[in-house]
Amino acid sequence: MQCSMEDYKDKFKKILLQVEKPGRYTGGEWNTPDMNKKRRADFVFCFPEVYEIGMSNLGMQILYSIINKQEGFAAERCFAPWTDMGQKLKENDIPLLSLETKKPLKDFSVVGFSIGYELLYTNVLYMLDLAKIPFRAKDRGEEYPIILAGGPCTANPEPFAPFFDVIIAGEGEEADLEVLKIVADGKEKGLTKTEILKQIKSVKGAYVPALHEKGEVVVKAVIRDFENAESIDKPLVPVIETVHDRAQLELYRGCASGCRFCQAGYWYRPIRERSAEKCFDFAKSMCDSAGFDEISLCSLSTSDYTDLEKLQGYLEPYCHEKMINLSLPSLRISSFKPEMAKDSRKSSLTFAPEAGTQRLRNVINKNVSEEEIDKIAVAFEAGYESIKLYFMMGLPTETDEDIDGIAKICRRLKDLYYEKKHKRGLNISVSCAVFVPKPCSPFQWEAQISFDEMLRRQRYLRDQLRQIKGVNFSWHGAEPSMLEAALARGDQKQADVIENAYAAGAKFDGWSEYFNWDIWKKAFEDSGLDMTTYTGAQDINAELPWDFIDIGATKQYLLKQRELAYSAVTTKNCREGCNGCGALRLGRCTIC
Amino acid sequence: MLVIKYQKKGDASFISHIDLLKHMGRIIRRADIPMNFSKGFNPHPLLFFSPPMVLGGQSECEYVFLSTEMNSEEAFRRYKGAVPEGLMALEFFDVKKNPNLQAEIEIADYVYPVEYRDIDLSDCVIRYTKKGEEKEENVSSKIFGTFSENGKLCVRMAAGNSPLRPDRIIGKLSEIYNEEISLTEVVKVRQYVKKDGELINVDDFIKEGKF
Ligand code: SF4
Ligand code: SF4
Repeated sequence: MQCSMEDYKDKFKKILLQVEKPGRYTGGEWNTPDMNKKRRADFVFCFPEVYEIGMSNLGMQILYSIINKQEGFAAERCFAPWTDMGQKLKENDIPLLSLETKKPLKDFSVVGFSIGYELLYTNVLYMLDLAKIPFRAKDRGEEYPIILAGGPCTANPEPFAPFFDVIIAGEGEEADLEVLKIVADGKEKGLTKTEILKQIKSVKGAYVPALHEKGEVVVKAVIRDFENAESIDKPLVPVIETVHDRAQLELYRGCASGCRFCQAGYWYRPIRERSAEKCFDFAKSMCDSAGFDEISLCSLSTSDYTDLEKLQGYLEPYCHEKMINLSLPSLRISSFKPEMAKDSRKSSLTFAPEAGTQRLRNVINKNVSEEEIDKIAVAFEAGYESIKLYFMMGLPTETDEDIDGIAKICRRLKDLYYEKKHKRGLNISVSCAVFVPKPCSPFQWEAQISFDEMLRRQRYLRDQLRQIKGVNFSWHGAEPSMLEAALARGDQKQADVIENAYAAGAKFDGWSEYFNWDIWKKAFEDSGLDMTTYTGAQDINAELPWDFIDIGATKQYLLKQRELAYSAVTTKNCREGCNGCGALRLGRCTIC
Repeated sequence: MLVIKYQKKGDASFISHIDLLKHMGRIIRRADIPMNFSKGFNPHPLLFFSPPMVLGGQSECEYVFLSTEMNSEEAFRRYKGAVPEGLMALEFFDVKKNPNLQAEIEIADYVYPVEYRDIDLSDCVIRYTKKGEEKEENVSSKIFGTFSENGKLCVRMAAGNSPLRPDRIIGKLSEIYNEEISLTEVVKVRQYVKKDGELINVDDFIKEGKF
């Protein structure tokens, strides 16, 4: 028997007190748009992570606010329920519900997942499972909504393509709304799902796996006029504390640095800045409407933003008057200015040299020189006593000498620090990730180092760092890094792997307490696939599963960058002039 | 300086006390009610709360002291436009200083979603788990009486330094009434301070201003 929505609400309320952090599931955030308006069609944004993490996702809040501003359309949200809630929902036979109106996901017109990380794939199935929606598009009849995916993982959507009706490659601001309108029109005209999908196929950035023909190209969706594009003026105020519990101000899209391992740096091209005036207007309306007491500037490389000083000039008096804390994250060493350190209430600095030697930094095109590392002295002078350093291990061409370089940087920083005659000791924390070759970057063909080699190099570095007092070392697990690499460059065959893994209990794979390596190993085996074919070197002449997505930068450009990497030749920052990557075909880079 | 009396109902009853501190700061910011801040390296707004209602239960009598130069009338007007229904203010009081309700409040009345009957709680033993440990406690000395509140059962209990959590006697009441009682429908309706052995409703205590 079908339950009515009211029944679910009551049943749901009863289980709220039986789970951890019930605030994750109540909704009712300040600034929630009108949910009672008449709907021609509605969209539920699904984020395959818990509330605290999902609510910090800027992209999702932008898309949410765009749809809700439209007459006749509404968007709601749904986050992955933590395992305790997942279990209660099953026990009580309650399907997964939206946060706002507690409506079953199945009853929406479009269910859209935002996928930003490979280890979230099983959580997509977890949410579909709880929503009582079949996993595979081909198994879903007319009675099911359009299931859509977006987010950075659409750079290679193939591993999860069989689960979706539509995948939006690129930026969803325009595409999601267009899809929703087509669905509304289609429903009103009585069209079938296939007829609707045929129309959706013409939306910029839309990939419809069931109707995709070999050789067809999907051009990434790009917001051309970023200056005048919508952003968040009335952010939702989270019920419980989230990981980025503050006003997040997006200054620009893209990154001018061109680090060769970095998918985001290529994926978000062309580079589009928003004027300081516009940014300031958004910052003010966010704080005034939400009551936030902190603003963070978030873009890929914030300190590179052209109008940073001008923007700071606007923000500082405002923040001072309103007692708002202004935080400036992700500083790059090469653009660090002493003024940025001043007045900061933070006592920890964060820097990402990524590699230990100049040679390897040239290979990866991380334009950070020894002299620039020495500039950190300025921060020590300004009173900083602790510093976080981020490195990557297993980069192409890396040798033990490069790892020695990491220890050398730590020693150098200690020397610089004590030259300033500090009484207290310097705290250095070194965090080392394993290189994961990602699609749509110049290193998309590279091999990831083997599992045993990861462990050997980690031990090697740990032993070196142990000899330096005050250095704290943490590293990413080898197993999740290998899985991430395998899934990142996967093909459609991997849909079986993901299904097998979920069936065997995998979910919340990004959480170390839930990550289960054995399940994944077995899931690959049972599907007849070898993980190392995906993590190993890829043939530069072969067709890659994601080649059909046009990201702007051309394959030839990526190949050329790869060659330059092997000869340790750097490419200039795009701010010094266009390098001709090809992204201009999709929109103008406003910095050149 | 002001004391805001507000409710905590509906969705808001699932906001933990730690999160509530943040919410209240944000409400007052959105309402554009000027706040005084603590001095020092990391200034925070001067807000002081009454003892919190247990997570999941409702309340019609939460209080927060706010250090501000704005008068209660104007502040109330602004507050109303900046707050979700669940945390709506019921009354604003002008005060001369912080009444320190966290320390002063000793007793509270809780209404349970069952009809009032003359029940016997004079030998009330409850069982609960605290930090994974099974506990048994006779809480009769923390229960000061039961009466009818619009026909519903109202229990007067200790709320101060050594309080009795209103959810802890739900098991006992369910036994007596032989029906399931949900914490989500328990409402804290009044709080008291004790002066010279006499109970004074917090509203009156604040209005009299003798603190
Ligand atoms: S600075 Fe480098 S690593 Fe950072 S976003 Fe830009 S390209 Fe990527
Ligand atoms: S190379 Fe040119 S087109 Fe490509 S991102 Fe840089 S400036 Fe833009």
